[in-house]
Amino acid sequence: MSQQASASAVDSPLPAFEVRQLSFRYDSLRGRSSGDRSTWVIKGMEFTIRQGEIVGVIGPNGSGKSSLLKLLTKLVRPQEGSIQLFGNELGSLTRESISRQVAYMPQDLSFDFPFSVLDMVLMGRFPHRRGGLLNLVGWERQEDLAAIEKAMAQTDVRHLANRMIATLSAGERQRVLLARALAQAPRVLMLDEPTAHLDLNHQLDVCRILQQVHAQLQMTVLLVSHDINLASQYCDRIVVMKQGSLVCIGPPQDVIQPRVLSEVYGCHVLVDAHPDTGLPRVSLPSQSHHQAGAVSAMS
Amino acid sequence: MIVHPTPSQTTLSDPPAMATPVPSRTYEDVASLQALRARRWYVVMGVMILLTCGAMVGCLQFGAHRLTMAETWSALTFSSAGTENVANVIIWDIRFPRILMGLFVGASLAITGAALQALVRNPLADPYVLGISSGAALGATIGLALGLGAIVGGFGLPLFAFIGGGLSIVLVYGIAASQGQLPMHQLLLAGVIVNAVCSALMMFVTSILNPASLYRVVLWLMGTLNAPSIPILIGIGVCLLIAIVLFLRESQALNLLAIGEDAARSLGVDSVRVQRTVFLVSAVLTGAVVSVSGMIGFVGMVIPHLVRILCGADHRLLLPVSALGGGILLMVADTVARTVVAPAEIPVGVITALIGGPFFIYLLMTRKYRFFA
Repeated sequence: MSQQASASAVDSPLPAFEVRQLSFRYDSLRGRSSGDRSTWVIKGMEFTIRQGEIVGVIGPNGSGKSSLLKLLTKLVRPQEGSIQLFGNELGSLTRESISRQVAYMPQDLSFDFPFSVLDMVLMGRFPHRRGGLLNLVGWERQEDLAAIEKAMAQTDVRHLANRMIATLSAGERQRVLLARALAQAPRVLMLDEPTAHLDLNHQLDVCRILQQVHAQLQMTVLLVSHDINLASQYCDRIVVMKQGSLVCIGPPQDVIQPRVLSEVYGCHVLVDAHPDTGLPRVSLPSQSHHQAGAVSAMS
Repeated sequence: MIVHPTPSQTTLSDPPAMATPVPSRTYEDVASLQALRARRWYVVMGVMILLTCGAMVGCLQFGAHRLTMAETWSALTFSSAGTENVANVIIWDIRFPRILMGLFVGASLAITGAALQALVRNPLADPYVLGISSGAALGATIGLALGLGAIVGGFGLPLFAFIGGGLSIVLVYGIAASQGQLPMHQLLLAGVIVNAVCSALMMFVTSILNPASLYRVVLWLMGTLNAPSIPILIGIGVCLLIAIVLFLRESQALNLLAIGEDAARSLGVDSVRVQRTVFLVSAVLTGAVVSVSGMIGFVGMVIPHLVRILCGADHRLLLPVSALGGGILLMVADTVARTVVAPAEIPVGVITALIGGPFFIYLLMTRKYRFFA
């Protein structure tokens, strides 16, 4: 496998992720005995994510999207199957070496502690820190500061540096977290619902930043989203999941289709073309239209 | 007083355009901001160490026996030689060890409280949530009940307490750890349960104690700093020093864990190792401190909050400043405790709450401090 990969590395770069026969379930607290009865969260997934693409993961609640991201960052470990990160078996990589390659932006963070924005972004340099007896508390070096500066500029949070994280709006906070992820200088950026609870202009901000870092740094981006339209507009390819299994993977034009969506979500949706980009756009059918149709059918 | 740069100093007048390359001027801005913070670390630490020394000298001046400033000064500078000199004996043999003890105990409680609040992500955490203190108290009570308090050359009581504390560390860890992990909610619950069981057992033992022993138990529980023997002083000092080094090494990891465990792990924190280290260091230090001074409340919970209000939440600064702040508070509180009703003494735990409480309320009301976002 690795020979094959290195041979072809010259013309086509290694895939960011190569996922084979991936299955995962959460062990119950007592482990082994009741383990058999717990259901698979991810079942037999196979896909490849190429370097430098933006891939969206969509699917209904509980389809295993967030678990998939956790698997790909080794926050949880699969029972079956293999994940390769740039040609290396993920399971054999240390936490630190993964964190130098993959930045993960989770959904649930606590902002109880009065950290400043700068504190937050500085945390992104943790995987690159150099400790030691003389630098017990781990002060940043010049290159750390340069990376932080760049990340804060890219996400437009420099002017917030001394603000407390708790006093920021949801949109600003999301940009700060994005700055932290970028300060990590990763090759892959993974985001769990990056635009949830954001209003339109902040959604646009986040997406613009993602597109920019993608364009400038050839970063691979993997994002989980409930917003199918957002995924359709900004992703090169889309992974559709249902009950822990891969339904299909492909460019938005191929994947965002009424047939696929109604099968996955179990409801009827309308798909038309976005007026600017021509990419598929999803809307829910109007309730009154439905009822009118039903009434006319009855009469 | 820490001066935070006002936003206008650091804000760029023009919002940066997204796609334009970063001008070098702004690079210097964040870099100098962080350089300022690194420098601030040394400034704040320097001020805190000076304050600590000042508090020590101040506390040496006061006590049951009234000394003039001149007497204190001559004792401090060894200018009036001779062991028969009353001031010398009072300052160096009686007050100094006790003040040092206050510094060590206060520092231990405060730094442990700060680390645990981040570890379990709970603002109400203090060194006593781990259940170690109750184990130590139970050990001490049993020692007194058996009349063994004075054996081993006066070390009987601390020894029993430390054994009790050690056993409860094993118990709490055994309950909380599962499948090579140390889940924090389980650690908290284990601590609460061990606390409850040990308290119940202790109440049972105290109910059958004779009045004289009972009085000693009650006094011990309230927390007092008796003039310690030199070996105990050295023991606590060494424990504290090792703990400070180990905590500081994990200070950045604690920053990350305070935000969220998954996020911390995705940034390369070996969370299980950090949790295990911080738990064990906290537990042993708390056990040691409680064994020699009883349960002195308030310092471990409030000092970290107080320092966060003044210096922010970065544990690289928070941990050492909390240690010194806790030391100062306990030294001063103990001086008040042994002075105001001299020759009697007030339990120092009463004083820490009475000094710290109102001050904390004042800071809470005048500053915009929100632990809960």
